Amino acid sequence: MTARPVSILSTLSRHLASIEAIAAGVLAAAVASLILLNVATRTAGAALFWVDELAIYAMVWMAFLGMSITIQRRSGVSVTILTDALPPKVRRAAALLVDGTILAFSLFLLWLCWRWYDPATLASVSYSVDAFVGETFNFIYREPTQTIGVAKYWVWLIVPITAAAMTVHALANLLEALRSPQAAPAP
Amino acid sequence: MTVAAAFIFLLFLAAPIALVLGITAITHILASGDLVLFESYPQQLFSALEKYGLLAIPLFMLVGELMNEGGVTTRLIRAARVFVGAYRGGLAYVNLLANMMMASIVGSAAAQIAVMSRVMTPEMTRQGYSPAFAAATTAAGGLLSPIIPPSMLFVIYGVLAQIPIGDMFMAGILPGLLLAFGFMCAIAFVGWRTGFPEGEAIKGKAARQALLQAAPSALVPAIIIGGILGGIATPTESAALAALSAAVLGLFVYRDLKFSALPRLFRETAVTSSVVLFLIAAANVFGWIILHEQIPQNVAAWLNGLTQNPFVFLLLVNILLLGVGAMLDGIAAMIIVVPILLPIAQTSYGIDPFHFGVVISINLVLGLLTPPVGAGLYIAAAASNVKPGDIFRALSPFLVATLVALIILSWQPSIVTALIR
Repeated sequence: MTARPVSILSTLSRHLASIEAIAAGVLAAAVASLILLNVATRTAGAALFWVDELAIYAMVWMAFLGMSITIQRRSGVSVTILTDALPPKVRRAAALLVDGTILAFSLFLLWLCWRWYDPATLASVSYSVDAFVGETFNFIYREPTQTIGVAKYWVWLIVPITAAAMTVHALANLLEALRSPQAAPAP
Repeated sequence: MTVAAAFIFLLFLAAPIALVLGITAITHILASGDLVLFESYPQQLFSALEKYGLLAIPLFMLVGELMNEGGVTTRLIRAARVFVGAYRGGLAYVNLLANMMMASIVGSAAAQIAVMSRVMTPEMTRQGYSPAFAAATTAAGGLLSPIIPPSMLFVIYGVLAQIPIGDMFMAGILPGLLLAFGFMCAIAFVGWRTGFPEGEAIKGKAARQALLQAAPSALVPAIIIGGILGGIATPTESAALAALSAAVLGLFVYRDLKFSALPRLFRETAVTSSVVLFLIAAANVFGWIILHEQIPQNVAAWLNGLTQNPFVFLLLVNILLLGVGAMLDGIAAMIIVVPILLPIAQTSYGIDPFHFGVVISINLVLGLLTPPVGAGLYIAAAASNVKPGDIFRALSPFLVATLVALIILSWQPSIVTALIR
């Protein structure tokens, strides 16, 4: 492995994380605004029925983007009582193992999302949802949202997006850790 | 067995706990051969978060960020000094009172300890208190945060237990006051043993000014508690209203908060609340294991052999959770144990879910202050430059007070349920 692809990947991961952070911040602001809108319209006697559901989806999207950022920053909650006591070499191996596990999980989640959305089968039936359901008994493209009037698969898209972003972050973190002689930096 | 081994191995390898839960669920599916579960795995992560009550988590985080950035904290402390500053040892009580006020705004103990340690510990040290006692008082005060509403831990418990979060907040008020009273006794005890420095009284004009300046800040807890108490707003809505009023206070009344800081505050809110929401999402797939392995039924059968008495059961749970809380982060611990222990508490012992929630919450936050993984202890140590070991020793009267409160609350459910409609 030459230095170059690693640093390109690291840069990509960092830029991706800052875009995710901006998007997550906008969604956090949206959650607050939507709930306030709900209070205001209800007090005015003209409650909007779709606001709660939209606020929940904004929060879920914010949460998934944030999850990906916690992977990139290695800032998730963890139990370090045992690893802290390890000698540096073993600790480095443990940290690499964690990075590798996170990468494996991200890839697995991405693969599960692929099977869930099953774009290959959908394309093979020329994007006919009826034929897709008949073929796979997978109802993903039939599921509606309750009040906001878009199909649920649009909202669920954040799961594959997050899985893909997590894969980038996990790979970048793993390669960086492999390259640096010291143990991975503590979060 | 492989599943349990995977869980323990990954946990102690210091993998993020949310991923430990998610991966353990995958091992379970592979081991049980129930591969069809993989079809709904991604969707299950999503649907775990599709809950109205969880909206309160980012909103309460936002309130905390806005209050800190807006200079509200320091004004509340100054007001607290007017009330009790003149007595011997006054500042220690001021610290506690300020912590109670902060607890009615901030929903997380770790966040509160971080803020208060920077403000209160140097102030107490300057007046002649021992730094370790100053840091310990501040850290103990932080324990009030998850018990006095609003509380992040209660929001999560309410969602897990499927009970109204507003009622859960009500349930926390009297236990929170009981805990605060216990801490006051602990301070008085230390004062009687070692003697405290004289308090500095604030009088006349300065006192009026301090109260006047802090008065608008009282709006925020008033909105949170009042909205929920009066049944006018859901906890989620009152959190949003509190965030709005905190922003208005900071931007236009105190002018410590700049518009240019808002994007950063929103980003921080998003990322910090995601850490918690990630755990909740992963816990949903982890729940399959608890369900399929019939863990509650097995644990219940074992416990039923030990005791039939709800009080003894709660004491056993307390002992178990003190151990769990010492190892795991409080929120993570709650997410893992509630689905296992709550059904047992309710069906085998007839314990009220609110009562159970308050008892385990106090228990799990206690873990914040106990080694080896007491995050609160390390935060307090880092913010006040005192060794964690010294703080822990100075904490012992407070820990005893918490244990006594815990036993009283386990014994008397009415303290918890009295205020619930």
